[in-house]
Amino acid sequence: MSFITAYCHLRENVCSVNGELVATLDKSSEDAWFKQIYKAQEFVYPKFYKMDTLSQAGYLASELIKRAAPYIVNDYADDEIALIFANKSSSADTDLRFINSYEHNGAPSPSLFVYTLPNIVLGEIAILNKWYGENMFAVLPKFTPDFFLTHTQILFSTGSKTALCGWLEILGDKIHAFLFLIEQAGTGKPELNIENLSNIAGPEIIHN
Amino acid sequence: MSYIGAEVIISPLGETTEENWRALSENRSGITKVNAAGYNDENLFLGSIQNHAAESRFTALTIRALSQIAEKIDRNVLSSERTIVILSSTKGALDVNVTDQFQSPAAMLVEEFKLANQPVVISNACISGVLAINVAGNLVKNKIYDHAVVIGCDVISDFVVYGFQSLFAISDQPCKPFDAARNGITLGEGCGAVVVSAEKSIFSESPLHLLTGSSANDANHISGPSRTGEGLFRSIGKTLNANQISGEEIDFISAHGTATVFNDEMEAIAFDRAGLSHIPLNSLKGYFGHTLGAAGVIETVASMQMMRNSTLLKSVGFGETGTSRSLNIITENRQKELNTVLKTASGFGGGNASLIIRSL
Repeated sequence: MSFITAYCHLRENVCSVNGELVATLDKSSEDAWFKQIYKAQEFVYPKFYKMDTLSQAGYLASELIKRAAPYIVNDYADDEIALIFANKSSSADTDLRFINSYEHNGAPSPSLFVYTLPNIVLGEIAILNKWYGENMFAVLPKFTPDFFLTHTQILFSTGSKTALCGWLEILGDKIHAFLFLIEQAGTGKPELNIENLSNIAGPEIIHN
Repeated sequence: MSYIGAEVIISPLGETTEENWRALSENRSGITKVNAAGYNDENLFLGSIQNHAAESRFTALTIRALSQIAEKIDRNVLSSERTIVILSSTKGALDVNVTDQFQSPAAMLVEEFKLANQPVVISNACISGVLAINVAGNLVKNKIYDHAVVIGCDVISDFVVYGFQSLFAISDQPCKPFDAARNGITLGEGCGAVVVSAEKSIFSESPLHLLTGSSANDANHISGPSRTGEGLFRSIGKTLNANQISGEEIDFISAHGTATVFNDEMEAIAFDRAGLSHIPLNSLKGYFGHTLGAAGVIETVASMQMMRNSTLLKSVGFGETGTSRSLNIITENRQKELNTVLKTASGFGGGNASLIIRSL
């Protein structure tokens, strides 16, 4: 049996952890939305500013989950935390920016090109945390709870002890990031099943 | 126990597995000079498929590969509810529609082959292919599906060519994996496909065993290989342990070997740390170029063909040792019975993956 022990939603104008609001978009701010969260949460990781939006979203949500479940950093060995992420549009948002760099901006940008793969965000999270575990990024037509149930079960049978999962969909001004931590123990936490995961994910992600 | 077989390659070397094997066994390379292919109209060496026009080259290649697969397995398997198709690719049909790189091509496969389940796309940079075969093996082992078809495909586009040019990562000659004079990759395109199944009887030609392996992140850099080979070292160790296989049992290693200075050095360090530096090894990039998300599948298929033909294939492009740890790189084709083969891959995002194929 597995449990959903922490989760984070990051949308166009709100960010919440375990269902509790942690940030709301300040439209009067000069800072971009993700930068507003970064500053308000007093994160210190200058690499954040080099990341594309997919990686920034993954960074913010995974750091917020770590604050909600700080014990994971010490309770698991460096290769026991699997990263299982998926989305619908791959890295299309950054792909478009890279195409713009060589079609309209003089030359192909190497700093954009290195982010034109959806799994780069997994690398960013692994680097920050020195996590050497399993990584997987899938592109699916929509958020599918069953996909995450299947693949956490598989990775738990091959040596991973916990899984940081994520639906990380960003394209244009649409943002739908939902990261959740799956552990094999979790007193009082919701059990990992399709119904609970669908409820926690919320109707907007299920029907999008 | 998972079986793997019905392998297919479509590449510059041929439209079928047989044509590809003939070219490989003659040490022919699919890499040619293409005029004005670069961002500033530079001539570049590429492993590109000639005479291959289609509205979506990606979709066309995957359909052709799956049609060939259909001829090699029980005719009821593809449309079965117990079958899943896994697509392995980095950029899919990006050249047709940037914001729909995978869904329309996947939908075409569903329609064309009456697939019962929605295909899953694995997009993990250059380890996608090896990872996808491991996912297939795990889905079958855990009885979630009885059969999994893995199709690895990527096509050359301005996008990837300009991108690798911007990183100064493209070789000015056909790529030379592990060689002292290597200076970058040669991009390639193609499609590889295999069927992983719990049932031996679905294969018209006898399959091999798939011993699924593990992936491990380097936790080091998003686009630079680790200096210690940590992720690859860990992936190989976990794959050997999980299958209770010792390094001494490995007859051949199909390495990733992209021919960039740092990648090949990283691999040499990892193989040395794993105690595998004496095992015959090649990189197939000198034949196909680097086919990105297809590479792990195409190279696994080529390794299976090596096993079936008891042949160690020369590592094309290699002449002189160019890594700090020496490896046993195959310099001429030779006959040898190959029972246990290790396939590895490493890529952007710090990913590393490995798997083992064993003869029955």
